[in-house]
Amino acid sequence: MEPLLTVIVILIGMYGIISSDTIIKSVFSGTIIESGVILLFLNLGALQGGMIPITDGVNIIIVDPIPQALMITTIVIGSTVTSLALILSIKVFHNNGSIAWKDITK
Amino acid sequence: MIRRIVTIPLLIAVFMVFVFALQDYETIYQDSARLFYQTFGYTLTGSLNLVTAIYLDFRLLDTLFEAGVLLIAVTGVSYIAQHEQVEHNPLFMLDKFKIPELFVSLARVIYPIVLLFGIYVVFNGHLAPGGGFQGGSILATSLLILYYIDLKKKTNLQRIFTIEKWLYLALLSVSMISFFTRGVWFTNFVSLESDVIVKSIFLITLNLLIGAKVALGLTAIFIAFLKEGR
Repeated sequence: MEPLLTVIVILIGMYGIISSDTIIKSVFSGTIIESGVILLFLNLGALQGGMIPITDGVNIIIVDPIPQALMITTIVIGSTVTSLALILSIKVFHNNGSIAWKDITK
Repeated sequence: MIRRIVTIPLLIAVFMVFVFALQDYETIYQDSARLFYQTFGYTLTGSLNLVTAIYLDFRLLDTLFEAGVLLIAVTGVSYIAQHEQVEHNPLFMLDKFKIPELFVSLARVIYPIVLLFGIYVVFNGHLAPGGGFQGGSILATSLLILYYIDLKKKTNLQRIFTIEKWLYLALLSVSMISFFTRGVWFTNFVSLESDVIVKSIFLITLNLLIGAKVALGLTAIFIAFLKEGR
């Protein structure tokens, strides 16, 4: 059930990208998709439940550390890509005087 | 309007694809890799925190490329943000909110605490929750608090970029030393038989480099945005 909830978060982001009027809203929809993907991966790692993955090899059940290590990468790259998109949108605003899609794609 | 009406059936179709794909989601998952990391992660890498063990030893190449992406993004932001126009009001973001005196005084108290906490998180990345990326973000936050305390402070962006590039080169060279000591690219340079405490030297060094790099990169991005006050 939980993975389907994260899929709904991803779909909300997709709908936001399709229906948004301005660049800023599209960028933030992309961030919502990213959050959905992160939730999906973390859920996959914690399917069987368990403690935090800080252990020296004793026999306790821990959550899977691999999705967590991959999601650090995703978070950092997502923040940098968002900042690049936002600074590009500022540039577009200075050139066109607007960040609405219908003014830019005229 | 028509576009939005067409969108909804498409999204429902995508949802159905996901529903079919995730049907046997729990049986597909294997825990063999988790068991390997749990059993051998500490002795092979010297890191109690298995997430750090993965991104600083088993999958170091991932981390190097990630740091590269951060460097390229910071360079891109600074390149796009540069302009010849005179900045009318570089502090426009701070002006609008008319920072209260109480906030500034509290920021003065909080700033050293946040800085210390960030350094703690970076240094204990291999023993406790944390690491270079998380600690670097906390350090960047403390540097931004510094910006509120002293509004007139000038920051030399060019110097930040230079330091960041040298840090990335240092990161690459530290992770390449292992070729001369172990004969393998991009892993811990201490030999496999040595004690876990000796192995953690490598982890602390890399965490420090990554922490400094992330902190400088995020600060540079913030300052580039702040300079858009034209």
